[in-house]
Amino acid sequence: MTLPSLTLLGQSLLSGIFIGALYGLLGLGLSLSWGLLRQINLAHFALAFLGAYLTYQLASVGGMDPLLTLAIVAPCFFAFGVLMHWLLARFSISPFNSLLVSFGLTVIVESMIQWIWTADYRRLESAYGGMKFKIGTLYLPVPEMITLATAVALSLLTWAALRYTDLGKAMRAASEDAPIAAAFGVNERVLSLILSGYAAALAGVAGLCLALSFTLAPSQIYVWIGVVFAAVMIGGLGNPIGPLVAGVVIGVSEALTMALTAPTWAPLVSFSLLIAVLLVRR
Amino acid sequence: MLEVDRIQVAYGAATALWDVSIRIAAGELVCVVGPNGAGKTTLINAIAGLNPIAAGTLAMDGRNLNRLPHNQFCDQGIAIVPEGRRLFTGLTVRENLELGSYRRSARTQRRQSLDRVYSIFPVLRERPDAPAGTLSGGQQQMLAIGRALMAQPRLLLLDEPSLGLAPSVVLEMFKVVREINGGGVAVLLVEQNVAMALELAARAYVLEEGRIVAEGAPSELLAQPHIRRAYLGDAADS
Amino acid sequence: MRISVPGWIGVAGLAFAAVPFLELPAFYETFMYLVFHWIVLATSWNILSGYSGYFSFGHGAFFGAGIYTTATLAGSYGVPFLWTLPAAALVSALFGMGIGAVVFRVGQLRGELFALITLAVTFVLATIVLNTRIDGGQGVNLGGVALPAILSSPSSTFYVLALAMMLATLWIAYGIYRSKLGTGLFAIHDDEDVAEVMGVPTFRYKLLAFGVSCGLAGVAGGIHALFVSYVTVGETFSILVPITVVLMSVLGGTRHWLGPAVGATVITGLLYAFTAGDYAVAGRAALGFILIVVILFLPEGLLGRFIPRLQGRRRSAAMPAAAPAAPAPRRGVTATLLEVHGVSKAFSGVQALDGVTLQVRRGEILGLVGPNGSGKSTLINVVSGHYRSNDGRVVFEGRDLGGLAAHRIARSGIARTYQIPRPFAHLSVLQNVALPAMFGHAALDRAAAEREARHWLEFTGLAAKADALPEDLNLHQRKFLELARALASHSNLLLLDEVLSGLTPAEIDHAIRTVRAIRDRGATIVFVEHVMRAVMELADRIVVLNYGRVIAEGGPKEVMGRPEVVTAYLGKPQTGKPHA
Repeated sequence: MTLPSLTLLGQSLLSGIFIGALYGLLGLGLSLSWGLLRQINLAHFALAFLGAYLTYQLASVGGMDPLLTLAIVAPCFFAFGVLMHWLLARFSISPFNSLLVSFGLTVIVESMIQWIWTADYRRLESAYGGMKFKIGTLYLPVPEMITLATAVALSLLTWAALRYTDLGKAMRAASEDAPIAAAFGVNERVLSLILSGYAAALAGVAGLCLALSFTLAPSQIYVWIGVVFAAVMIGGLGNPIGPLVAGVVIGVSEALTMALTAPTWAPLVSFSLLIAVLLVRR
Repeated sequence: MLEVDRIQVAYGAATALWDVSIRIAAGELVCVVGPNGAGKTTLINAIAGLNPIAAGTLAMDGRNLNRLPHNQFCDQGIAIVPEGRRLFTGLTVRENLELGSYRRSARTQRRQSLDRVYSIFPVLRERPDAPAGTLSGGQQQMLAIGRALMAQPRLLLLDEPSLGLAPSVVLEMFKVVREINGGGVAVLLVEQNVAMALELAARAYVLEEGRIVAEGAPSELLAQPHIRRAYLGDAADS
Repeated sequence: MRISVPGWIGVAGLAFAAVPFLELPAFYETFMYLVFHWIVLATSWNILSGYSGYFSFGHGAFFGAGIYTTATLAGSYGVPFLWTLPAAALVSALFGMGIGAVVFRVGQLRGELFALITLAVTFVLATIVLNTRIDGGQGVNLGGVALPAILSSPSSTFYVLALAMMLATLWIAYGIYRSKLGTGLFAIHDDEDVAEVMGVPTFRYKLLAFGVSCGLAGVAGGIHALFVSYVTVGETFSILVPITVVLMSVLGGTRHWLGPAVGATVITGLLYAFTAGDYAVAGRAALGFILIVVILFLPEGLLGRFIPRLQGRRRSAAMPAAAPAAPAPRRGVTATLLEVHGVSKAFSGVQALDGVTLQVRRGEILGLVGPNGSGKSTLINVVSGHYRSNDGRVVFEGRDLGGLAAHRIARSGIARTYQIPRPFAHLSVLQNVALPAMFGHAALDRAAAEREARHWLEFTGLAAKADALPEDLNLHQRKFLELARALASHSNLLLLDEVLSGLTPAEIDHAIRTVRAIRDRGATIVFVEHVMRAVMELADRIVVLNYGRVIAEGGPKEVMGRPEVVTAYLGKPQTGKPHA
């Protein structure tokens, strides 16, 4: 095994950070609904891809600047998240059954995506695609930089909101002990609707980042599930910074593994990390 | 001020309270004693809006609270210090206090309320950013009381505050309760520590197996064999 | 002539076996192959996931492991096809049990975690297969592998292979359903912690069920590999397999051995209507939609809705009338049954037990009393194995219980009731009581356990409710159900946790008489109680706890009159205020 050059290692490290940021962004919404709402929402991934495809459609076909598509996608997804939670709350189902329902939803959304956009690969060609910065010998592509910046900004923003605003504190309190929170005036129902909407909007943002950097295909939805869940579990449920940090750790590990061994063993890394964390935490 | 009229409350499948009526005037300190399983916590939870009322009425200043949504009880001026404290352990000391003043009208007074709580419980000022779960039992109880005070209540509900606390700490805490009541806040105290509770209260009710079996001034009640028998069985009388 | 259920399965098998001889067009045999194939996959999935509630989202991984085992062995190494099938079973079973060994030990979130990990496993396995010589990316062509000529045409041969596999799977599923393993799995489904405390070896059972489930899926995969004859990673490990299997079982009813088969038949029929042409995608969406509808509106499945307690009723009718049970066996001659030495237990800062030392003598009724929060329930939890103590020893019949899993403690002869009754919600009253008789100290077989259960139901006055579900009982009856469960295990030591709380005075009198009768039959009883009247009447000795420490011990009247005990209960008044 020949050791790769420093530049290659450096570039691998960077790409690991970039992909890790996307894991974190995808995991943020998931972690919030799992940690604070006790709902495991598999459909989060399908939603993210739907957002990606919508970005693609509005940008490629509609000619909009991809970043601007967020102005349409995010509010729509927020409303969708609120609606979904409101509908499901009418049936009092166990957290596990909500996982099953989200499983069904995932398949429906994926089928819908395939029906509209077919299983062919779609690539968003945007102005950002070609741009990149250069530091020394290392390249920093703009789409990935956008992803990194967005992930960091949103993670920090969510963390700050949960930490410092009354709404955030109320959400944390309600997720721990809803009846007592209600005894102090917290309207848990409204708060969970807001949280669901926010998580769905985050899926839309993640979709934008997906569209900027990746080629889209409906089957790709499932590829991300394992890695992102690993990031969420390792990072700690309900912790807004957790998925980002864990995601970057996973991403860098994967990238280094790819650089030092064969390129295609990446999925094994996150899985092994997860098993290791589970064994240690026991 | 608070009128509980012949309420019936369920606990799971069974009926826990039968035909219970109590009243508390503004600024009064009233006590409910009784053996375990008598339904004291069910009663306090019903007044706080945590348990639904199957029959009878619960009224505050004449306003019927039966159908009120749970999160609006606080606005009526009712704040609870639950059994076992039930602090938000994921939040810090200060955040727990701030959450106590979550309701709109208390929020504007947050600064003053916080100062007041810190003056009553100076120890809370020392570690405002500590997670609530890391406090000692006594400090947690103080935090729970402080949290309730932040809501600027007119009626403070205390459910077995002496549970799991060392006797000296309990003494301190009851002194504080007397102080709070002295400030004009009505208090409904449910307690196992019967002797201390009866010293504090102006009036007391005895609850047994879901029913009120006695009511009156503490000195009258202690003279009756009721309380000793309810807690200790026949042995204590001999 | 009464045909047993396995007999009926056999009869159905014979009937289906006749089909190839009808010389129908290959299309029908192929369709039936698919139905049988999905019945095997769904039923095998249900053995773990439906019975125990640990939903696996990765059945595709084990199915795929079987496919590739056969593909590799037959395709690359020329192993005769039929010999690859046991290999496929073994590989899949070991693979599953390996994962189970890690995940089943995790305490919290185990259900969700298991679902997600099994989902992730599918893609990891797909990656490994894709990147190694096993597949390598271009798929494996099995066109050259010889199909054993069992019948005249390939479609008939596959039909018969799948039929045999389906019969085997149904027999196994039924067998487990009726066995001790099945009862244990259903108990795990309802309340794993209680099942463990009642003697069910939960870890072992889950692992076993998972192994069987994966092994069967592996064989189905092996057969299917030759059926499709060109195996690719994308097709094998697609999300279609897990979701279809989950849907089929949930639709048919996960609590019944035949549920998945019903669901599989319905869905395969439906799917067939869609697979023609453009509607494949719509078919997938329909699957997702049906899953959602079923979860929301029909969570117990078709069989669960339309045949609620048929099995229960039928089974109890066949049972002979209850025979009187043997009295609780007296084992050993030690006068001291239980010794607790310096046991301490803390929970995040609160010291629930602080150096508790006490003895329980054989044949006595020991009352454990104390104010709220004094640690009584915690002590019971430590002795029964629910919690592990931080310090100290618990010695039962001369044997140190330290470090033993809760189910072993139950086996050695300790049984407990729960203050808030925790019956197994989906098992009948009779089955609830029979379970401790099977898994506890008595360790009876099913028939004897059910007779035993009937006896104790009569003893506690619940005989009329034997076939009811726990939710149909009122609080008093549920408390007595707890009692019956503890009695049915024939344990030498019974720990009763606030059996009387919430009962009316008349019910309390009845309960007191019952507890006395139990002791007269030879059991030793420790009971935690707040109803003082009962403590006074029943207890031979009492131990008083306060703040996690023993503060008094002795005869009831004498102890309850002691000043320190009075103070603990009533509190010490502040100085200065006299009272009458």
